[in-house]
Amino acid sequence: MNTTAVPSAPETAASLRISDEQAVEAYRQLGEGHVYVLEPTDPTRFRMANPFSTVPTAYKVEVSGKSYYGNCVWDGLGIVSLMGGTGQLKTHCPDCGETLTLVVSDRALVHEEGVVHFSIPAAHWWDDIIYT
Amino acid sequence: MLLFRSGEHVERSGKPAGAFMTAGQAWRLADIWYRDRADPNWQRRTVEEAEDVFANLGLVGDFWKLRRPPTMPAATGMDPKR
Repeated sequence: MNTTAVPSAPETAASLRISDEQAVEAYRQLGEGHVYVLEPTDPTRFRMANPFSTVPTAYKVEVSGKSYYGNCVWDGLGIVSLMGGTGQLKTHCPDCGETLTLVVSDRALVHEEGVVHFSIPAAHWWDDIIYT
Repeated sequence: MLLFRSGEHVERSGKPAGAFMTAGQAWRLADIWYRDRADPNWQRRTVEEAEDVFANLGLVGDFWKLRRPPTMPAATGMDPKR
Protein backbone atom coordinates (compact mmCIF):
# COMPACT_ATOMS: atom_id res chain seq x y z
CA MET A 1 0.00 0.00 0.00
CA ASN A 2 2.86 2.34 0.76
CA THR A 3 4.58 1.85 -2.57
CA THR A 4 1.37 1.45 -4.66
CA ALA A 5 3.11 -1.53 -6.31
CA VAL A 6 1.80 -5.08 -5.99
CA PRO A 7 4.46 -7.77 -5.47
CA SER A 8 4.68 -10.79 -7.71
CA ALA A 9 4.99 -14.24 -6.17
CA PRO A 10 8.81 -14.25 -6.54
CA GLU A 11 8.99 -10.81 -4.93
CA THR A 12 6.79 -12.02 -2.10
CA ALA A 13 8.99 -15.09 -1.75
CA ALA A 14 12.10 -12.98 -1.47
CA SER A 15 10.49 -10.67 1.06
CA LEU A 16 9.23 -13.49 3.25
CA ARG A 17 12.30 -15.70 2.69
CA ILE A 18 10.25 -18.59 1.36
CA SER A 19 10.64 -20.46 -1.90
CA ASP A 20 9.06 -19.25 -5.10
CA GLU A 21 7.03 -22.46 -5.14
CA GLN A 22 5.66 -21.74 -1.69
CA ALA A 23 4.71 -18.24 -2.73
CA VAL A 24 3.02 -19.44 -5.90
CA GLU A 25 1.10 -22.02 -3.89
CA ALA A 26 0.04 -19.35 -1.41
CA TYR A 27 -1.12 -17.16 -4.29
CA ARG A 28 -3.07 -20.11 -5.71
CA GLN A 29 -4.80 -20.71 -2.40
CA LEU A 30 -5.63 -17.03 -2.00
CA GLY A 31 -7.11 -17.07 -5.48
CA GLU A 32 -9.08 -20.24 -4.90
CA GLY A 33 -10.38 -18.86 -1.64
CA HIS A 34 -11.55 -15.67 -3.37
CA VAL A 35 -9.37 -13.62 -1.07
CA TYR A 36 -7.51 -12.15 -4.02
CA VAL A 37 -7.82 -12.59 -7.78
CA LEU A 38 -4.92 -13.91 -9.84
CA GLU A 39 -4.00 -12.60 -13.25
CA PRO A 40 -5.71 -15.07 -15.61
CA THR A 41 -2.61 -15.52 -17.74
CA ASP A 42 -0.02 -15.38 -14.94
CA PRO A 43 -0.65 -17.14 -11.61
CA THR A 44 2.42 -15.46 -10.09
CA ARG A 45 0.65 -12.12 -10.16
CA PHE A 46 -2.46 -10.67 -8.61
CA ARG A 47 -5.02 -8.94 -10.79
CA MET A 48 -6.99 -7.81 -7.77
CA ALA A 49 -5.75 -7.44 -4.23
CA ASN A 50 -9.10 -6.14 -3.18
CA PRO A 51 -9.89 -3.36 -2.96
CA PHE A 52 -6.89 -2.60 -5.17
CA SER A 53 -6.58 -3.33 -8.86
CA THR A 54 -3.08 -4.08 -10.07
CA VAL A 55 -3.91 -2.71 -13.51
CA PRO A 56 -5.28 0.71 -14.44
CA THR A 57 -9.07 0.88 -14.35
CA ALA A 58 -11.74 3.52 -14.74
CA TYR A 59 -11.71 4.01 -10.97
CA LYS A 60 -8.76 6.17 -10.03
CA VAL A 61 -8.33 6.99 -6.37
CA GLU A 62 -6.23 9.74 -4.84
CA VAL A 63 -5.29 9.36 -1.19
CA SER A 64 -2.58 11.26 0.67
CA GLY A 65 -0.88 12.27 -2.55
CA LYS A 66 -0.77 8.74 -3.93
CA SER A 67 -2.77 7.23 -6.76
CA TYR A 68 -4.37 3.80 -6.79
CA TYR A 69 -6.88 2.01 -8.96
CA GLY A 70 -9.98 0.32 -7.63
CA ASN A 71 -11.75 -2.57 -9.30
CA CYS A 72 -15.11 -0.79 -9.18
CA VAL A 73 -16.89 1.97 -7.28
CA TRP A 74 -17.19 -0.19 -4.17
CA ASP A 75 -13.50 -1.04 -4.18
CA GLY A 76 -12.42 2.47 -5.13
CA LEU A 77 -14.21 3.86 -2.11
CA GLY A 78 -12.84 0.91 -0.15
CA ILE A 79 -9.33 2.13 -0.88
CA VAL A 80 -10.26 5.51 0.57
CA SER A 81 -11.60 3.79 3.69
CA LEU A 82 -8.63 1.47 4.06
CA MET A 83 -6.17 4.32 3.65
CA GLY A 84 -7.69 6.46 6.38
CA GLY A 85 -11.02 7.74 5.17
CA THR A 86 -10.05 10.85 3.25
CA GLY A 87 -9.61 10.91 -0.51
CA GLN A 88 -11.38 11.06 -3.81
CA LEU A 89 -12.46 8.72 -6.55
CA LYS A 90 -12.70 9.83 -10.15
CA THR A 91 -14.37 7.89 -12.92
CA HIS A 92 -16.52 8.57 -15.95
CA CYS A 93 -20.09 7.66 -16.78
CA PRO A 94 -19.96 4.54 -18.98
CA ASP A 95 -22.80 6.00 -21.06
CA CYS A 96 -21.88 9.63 -21.69
CA GLY A 97 -18.26 9.73 -20.60
CA GLU A 98 -18.79 12.62 -18.21
CA THR A 99 -16.30 12.71 -15.35
CA LEU A 100 -17.85 11.82 -12.01
CA THR A 101 -16.16 12.48 -8.69
CA LEU A 102 -16.82 11.22 -5.18
CA VAL A 103 -15.01 12.95 -2.34
CA VAL A 104 -14.65 11.59 1.18
CA SER A 105 -13.31 13.59 4.11
CA ASP A 106 -12.86 12.15 7.59
CA ARG A 107 -15.05 9.18 6.62
CA ALA A 108 -17.89 11.40 5.42
CA LEU A 109 -18.95 11.54 1.78
CA VAL A 110 -18.79 15.28 1.15
CA HIS A 111 -19.26 15.34 -2.62
CA GLU A 112 -21.24 12.86 -4.66
CA GLU A 113 -22.44 12.47 -8.21
CA GLY A 114 -24.27 9.75 -10.06
CA VAL A 115 -25.81 6.43 -9.09
CA VAL A 116 -24.15 3.08 -8.59
CA HIS A 117 -25.45 0.26 -10.76
CA PHE A 118 -24.95 -3.47 -10.27
CA SER A 119 -25.60 -5.64 -13.31
CA ILE A 120 -24.83 -8.97 -11.67
CA PRO A 121 -26.74 -10.43 -8.70
CA ALA A 122 -24.61 -11.01 -5.62
CA ALA A 123 -24.74 -14.79 -5.93
CA HIS A 124 -23.03 -14.54 -9.32
CA TRP A 125 -20.35 -11.94 -8.58
CA TRP A 126 -17.63 -14.57 -8.48
CA ASP A 127 -18.75 -16.31 -11.68
CA ASP A 128 -16.51 -13.81 -13.47
CA ILE A 129 -15.23 -11.39 -10.87
CA ILE A 130 -13.16 -9.40 -13.33
CA TYR A 131 -16.28 -8.63 -15.37
CA THR A 132 -18.31 -8.03 -12.22
CA MET B 1 -20.49 -2.03 -10.19
CA LEU B 2 -20.37 1.09 -12.25
CA LEU B 3 -21.03 4.74 -11.46
CA PHE B 4 -23.41 6.33 -13.95
CA ARG B 5 -24.59 9.90 -14.24
CA SER B 6 -28.18 8.73 -13.58
CA GLY B 7 -30.62 5.86 -14.05
CA GLU B 8 -31.45 7.13 -17.54
CA HIS B 9 -27.81 6.73 -18.50
CA VAL B 10 -27.90 3.12 -17.26
CA GLU B 11 -30.92 2.41 -19.46
CA ARG B 12 -29.28 4.02 -22.48
CA SER B 13 -26.16 1.94 -21.95
CA GLY B 14 -28.14 -1.26 -22.42
CA LYS B 15 -27.13 -2.73 -19.09
CA PRO B 16 -29.50 -5.25 -17.46
CA ALA B 17 -31.96 -3.87 -14.94
CA GLY B 18 -29.79 -5.08 -12.06
CA ALA B 19 -29.88 -3.01 -8.92
CA PHE B 20 -29.00 0.50 -7.85
CA MET B 21 -27.57 2.14 -4.81
CA THR B 22 -26.79 5.72 -3.98
CA ALA B 23 -23.23 6.96 -3.73
CA GLY B 24 -23.87 7.34 -0.01
CA GLN B 25 -24.83 3.70 0.30
CA ALA B 26 -21.75 2.73 -1.72
CA TRP B 27 -19.51 4.73 0.59
CA ARG B 28 -21.03 3.21 3.72
CA LEU B 29 -20.72 -0.27 2.21
CA ALA B 30 -17.09 0.33 1.25
CA ASP B 31 -16.24 1.78 4.67
CA ILE B 32 -17.77 -1.16 6.52
CA TRP B 33 -16.30 -3.69 4.11
CA TYR B 34 -12.75 -2.47 3.84
CA ARG B 35 -11.94 -0.30 6.85
CA ASP B 36 -10.16 -3.12 8.68
CA ARG B 37 -8.92 -5.04 5.64
CA ALA B 38 -5.25 -4.37 6.46
CA ASP B 39 -5.65 -5.49 10.07
CA PRO B 40 -3.55 -8.63 10.60
CA ASN B 41 -6.51 -10.10 12.48
CA TRP B 42 -8.92 -9.43 9.62
CA GLN B 43 -11.21 -12.32 8.83
CA ARG B 44 -13.49 -12.66 5.86
CA ARG B 45 -17.17 -12.32 6.61
CA THR B 46 -19.40 -15.33 6.47
CA VAL B 47 -22.21 -15.34 3.93
CA GLU B 48 -24.64 -14.51 6.71
CA GLU B 49 -22.49 -11.64 7.99
CA ALA B 50 -22.11 -10.23 4.48
CA GLU B 51 -25.84 -10.38 3.85
CA ASP B 52 -26.41 -8.63 7.18
CA VAL B 53 -24.14 -5.81 6.00
CA PHE B 54 -26.22 -5.47 2.83
CA ALA B 55 -29.51 -5.59 4.75
CA ASN B 56 -28.38 -2.94 7.22
CA LEU B 57 -27.74 -0.65 4.27
CA GLY B 58 -31.21 -1.30 2.87
CA LEU B 59 -29.93 -3.69 0.22
CA VAL B 60 -32.54 -6.42 0.53
CA GLY B 61 -34.17 -8.91 -1.80
CA ASP B 62 -32.98 -11.81 -3.90
CA PHE B 63 -30.48 -9.66 -5.78
CA TRP B 64 -28.39 -9.25 -2.63
CA LYS B 65 -28.48 -12.88 -1.56
CA LEU B 66 -25.10 -14.57 -1.90
CA ARG B 67 -26.68 -18.02 -2.23
CA ARG B 68 -29.58 -18.32 -4.62
CA PRO B 69 -30.91 -20.25 -7.63
CA PRO B 70 -29.23 -19.34 -10.95
CA THR B 71 -31.97 -17.09 -12.28
CA MET B 72 -31.80 -13.34 -12.62
CA PRO B 73 -33.96 -11.68 -9.93
CA ALA B 74 -35.99 -8.56 -10.47
CA ALA B 75 -34.35 -5.21 -9.91
CA THR B 76 -34.33 -3.88 -6.38
CA GLY B 77 -33.03 -0.89 -4.53
CA MET B 78 -33.51 2.77 -5.25
CA ASP B 79 -35.59 4.16 -8.08
CA PRO B 80 -33.43 3.83 -11.21
CA LYS B 81 -35.00 6.97 -12.64
CA ARG B 82 -33.33 9.05 -10.02
